[in-house]
Amino acid sequence: MARAAVVTHPASYPLVGRSPDAVLFRLPGRDVNAAEFLRAAHDLAAALPPGANIVNLCRDRFAFAVGIAAAILRGQVSLLTTDRSPVGLRRLAERYPGLCSFADDPAVASPLPHRTLRPGTGPSGGEAANPMIPAGHLAAIVFTSGSTGEPVGHRKSWGQLATRSEDAGRRFGMTRSAPASVVGMVPPQHMYGFETTVLLPWHAHAAAWCGDSFYPADVRAALAEMPEPRVLVTTPLQIRALLESGLALPRLERVISATAPLFADLAATAERGWNTQVEEIFGATEVGSIASRRTVEGDIWRAYPRVRLSASPSEPEPLVTAPHAVPFALSDHIEALDGTRFRLLGRRTDLIKLGGRRASLAGLSRILTGLEGVLDGVFVAPDDQEQRPNARLAAFVVAPGRDPEALLAELRERIDPVFLPRRLVAVGELPRNDVGKITADAARALHDRLAGAE
Amino acid sequence: METTEHEVAQLIVDALHLEMTADEIAPDAPLFGEGLGLDSIDALELALALSRTYGVDLKSDDARNPRIFASLRTLTGHIEAHRTR
Repeated sequence: MARAAVVTHPASYPLVGRSPDAVLFRLPGRDVNAAEFLRAAHDLAAALPPGANIVNLCRDRFAFAVGIAAAILRGQVSLLTTDRSPVGLRRLAERYPGLCSFADDPAVASPLPHRTLRPGTGPSGGEAANPMIPAGHLAAIVFTSGSTGEPVGHRKSWGQLATRSEDAGRRFGMTRSAPASVVGMVPPQHMYGFETTVLLPWHAHAAAWCGDSFYPADVRAALAEMPEPRVLVTTPLQIRALLESGLALPRLERVISATAPLFADLAATAERGWNTQVEEIFGATEVGSIASRRTVEGDIWRAYPRVRLSASPSEPEPLVTAPHAVPFALSDHIEALDGTRFRLLGRRTDLIKLGGRRASLAGLSRILTGLEGVLDGVFVAPDDQEQRPNARLAAFVVAPGRDPEALLAELRERIDPVFLPRRLVAVGELPRNDVGKITADAARALHDRLAGAE
Repeated sequence: METTEHEVAQLIVDALHLEMTADEIAPDAPLFGEGLGLDSIDALELALALSRTYGVDLKSDDARNPRIFASLRTLTGHIEAHRTR
């Protein structure tokens, strides 16, 4: 492990670390430079509902980004959650009294004190002041579902977010003379999308696309509107979909993938098909992006320029340290080769990732058994779930007198749609062992029974 | 060539590995949210299947259009109007 050097980091960072005329965001038919972005943020800050914490429910990426900047200017903490259900938002408000929300789309409903606000994209007479924000300022809390199903918030200091964007820009070769055009296919509320498509342009030489980018045909159109060098920020599932679509894409400098393991053969196919370089980001909502690798080159990850790994005295896994961030013990099993390079040995089996969302099977099972009339229940994932990004879960439930369809409707109000069981099977009892656990083998047998019944 | 609701229903069942038969998809039931309960991963899979089978390349503009993804019937109408094969 590298010997720790005494490094002092700045005490504050500007809201936007780019020159006033640098393009930060590209909207369909219109570019927004740093000065215009700052003006839009100041205008919006004055209109935000008051409160210490605020939920940004904007659907449009540009509106979302302006909302984050506006909240920082107002001294409000943005709570980022992918669970936008009324139940989920109400639960959040129980832990953050006075919580309010805003959205750009009048169709968005919220059970919280709420305003519909659309950031202006036109010229504004407002000021474009670019204040220095203290590095320790709490800018955002990003939520993941914890092992109990209850969301866990991860606190993001301003210094951590700003320095990590600088690091990402350096890692991916973004320079003043060749600023990158980033088209992101991932949502802005998700930590990966938040870092790469919302915050990155504030402190790295990049401009992010803010139009449609979900379907392959959207992506082709978006890339065509962006100047070179182009960078596509995506996921294994979407890489596969794009390749299968057969659409010819404009020249891509780089493709960046995260949220699920990218298999080397898919990476190699994408590199050949698009004549590009495919890289993966390693990260977690708790720590953000911390390392990358070019998938076809092998299994060694390189930490971001200012991220270090060191042995922990109390945790089995190495500690990750980074500027303005609390040292964090990874939940993935890794083998540190030195202070900056590592191999990923495995992930915890209870945690599953689908569609970029993460949940624990135990947490999902607890939600199921919490429903009225449910005596017992368990969620199971197929064995090859990691290899099949489009794999789905199944669930078994002991609930005499309850209709599985009705239970499914209740689950739909409580959990993200990607985790809804494709099959919810009513059974007489679950194969629990002496200590009341359903072993991995028993869960596999349940799943096999499903396959056998088809 | 005429596009039938049954063949589109079969395509949905096959593309999304649904645990139902094509006949069980009601022509007027919503495909997303309530009804079939499809989500964003399904939307991507379905878009691919439509592109492969009918040469119809969906865009977000189309998908937001309630007349397309509202139901099996509206989706079939969209394919019929835009298919290139």
